[in-house]
Amino acid sequence: MSLYEFLGTMEVGFIFGLVALGTFLTFRVLDFPDLTVEGSFPLGAAVTAAGIVTGGWNPWIATLAAPVAGFAAGWVTAYLNVRFKILHILAGILVAISLYSINLRIMAGPNKPLLGTRTVLSSFEGLGYPTYMVTPIFFGVVLLVTKLLIDAFMRTGVGLSMRATGANPAMAAANGIDTGRMRLIGVGIANALCALSGALFAQLFGAADAYMGIGVIIVGLASVIVGMAIVPSRLVHQATLACIVGALLYRFAVSTALNADVLGLKASDVQLVTAVLVVATLILQQSGGFGRLFTRKR
Amino acid sequence: MIQIDKVAVTFNKGTALETTALRDVSLDVPSGQFLTVIGSNGAGKSTSLNVIAGLAPVERGTVKVDGTDITIWPVHRRASLISRVFQDPKMGTCENLTILENFALAQGRTQPTGLRFAIRQGAREQIAERLRLLDLGLENRLDDKVGLLSGGQRQAVSLLMATTGETRVLLLDEHTAALDPKTAEFVVGLTQKIVRELKLTTVMVTHSMAQALHFGDRTVMFHRGKIIFDAAGPEREELTVQDLLTLFKRDQGEDITDDALLLS
Repeated sequence: MSLYEFLGTMEVGFIFGLVALGTFLTFRVLDFPDLTVEGSFPLGAAVTAAGIVTGGWNPWIATLAAPVAGFAAGWVTAYLNVRFKILHILAGILVAISLYSINLRIMAGPNKPLLGTRTVLSSFEGLGYPTYMVTPIFFGVVLLVTKLLIDAFMRTGVGLSMRATGANPAMAAANGIDTGRMRLIGVGIANALCALSGALFAQLFGAADAYMGIGVIIVGLASVIVGMAIVPSRLVHQATLACIVGALLYRFAVSTALNADVLGLKASDVQLVTAVLVVATLILQQSGGFGRLFTRKR
Repeated sequence: MIQIDKVAVTFNKGTALETTALRDVSLDVPSGQFLTVIGSNGAGKSTSLNVIAGLAPVERGTVKVDGTDITIWPVHRRASLISRVFQDPKMGTCENLTILENFALAQGRTQPTGLRFAIRQGAREQIAERLRLLDLGLENRLDDKVGLLSGGQRQAVSLLMATTGETRVLLLDEHTAALDPKTAEFVVGLTQKIVRELKLTTVMVTHSMAQALHFGDRTVMFHRGKIIFDAAGPEREELTVQDLLTLFKRDQGEDITDDALLLS
């Protein structure tokens, strides 16, 4: 792997680290398996791309509009669950598919190219450093700042209440915590992170696309599961670090698998590789691991 | 302090599983009273506790605490007035949070910290000081996850948490039922000590007639959704479990068949 390839993998890993942190908030902290991500990731991309190209917004403002839209999407999912008792997974799927249509409206078409337009990444041109080095550093800083903000948030009264809501809702309510509100805020924040991730991803690759959300939730989950299998995650700041390490490892595992000529895999096999990776990690975490294939069921 | 006025509770109304849990029950618990509640399975004793806590659907009637009508308040809103200890030691605490974090949550019940850090300056020493009362060495394990504690330790911690901050009403839902006899004795002794010190209005639901008569200063007995027996003061002092059984047989024309009531 060349330095160029290495940095390219890192920058995508950093971007998806945001998705991993969002997935951590919903699946691990709130115990709310949220599938809205599949729609909020392209939503962030669509809002930013349309803002820059159609709206003529400043790219930084357009990028910050993405998490606002993402928060709203997550809030709707949580509202369907909290207020109307619709199953969380179903609520997420409903919002994600409706976002597909909404994204087509926002972009006035299935995609929105950003080639030749100013993006946040254009701000770093002309500094005298090569883009392929500055970009990963920028994404890394964004991810690190987000991680530290989440760590601090988790130590506040609201953050602690959110953890209690996921871990023991009856106890949380008995201690005066409005568990419904915690889900609204938490799922909102998680989707804000995913939308931000989508906004950055679109600017890196030069286009927003209605289909770019497919499999994002599994990438987020893979990162959380792989990361927590490797990095100790007893404390919150360790767990968020584990998510980031997981996101990077996941990227390297996928790019290694796709580049290994012996395996004969194509870029389109990425979803299959991801699913296999997640399953393998989950099996390895169980006692006995793959040995269970050879033992009798009890 | 607690005024339950003609409260009726029916579960699964309009279905084949319809069960009436409380039939127009009225109960008035004055400030500072320690009430013990007894009854067999399905008698309505836990439902009456849940009516106060906000977990049971009240069909008719009103519930007041400290003069405020809280009948339609959700559970979390009642938490500023009411705290409770659950039967299951796993329910009262958050096992993936540390002892310190659990206490921070309990303090948030009366003093929410919002976006400020939940564990404030000096909280460590304050909480360690309270835990020292237990004499279980927990003051040295503030950063241990609660999941590492035994059932009895968790229940003792739950009790301390429930009595952190300004508490008006303490609800105890068979909080020693899941513990071994020795631990149960320790927890119930601790309960009595705390309730006396803080002069709390307390409602303790129990499965044991002996415990109901031995602790607190008033006992009510539920049967088929109604209060069939209410004793306090000198009259109650002289009561024995055998008296209760005789009374029950005379009034209801049937024997108590719930083994748990008789044996414990």
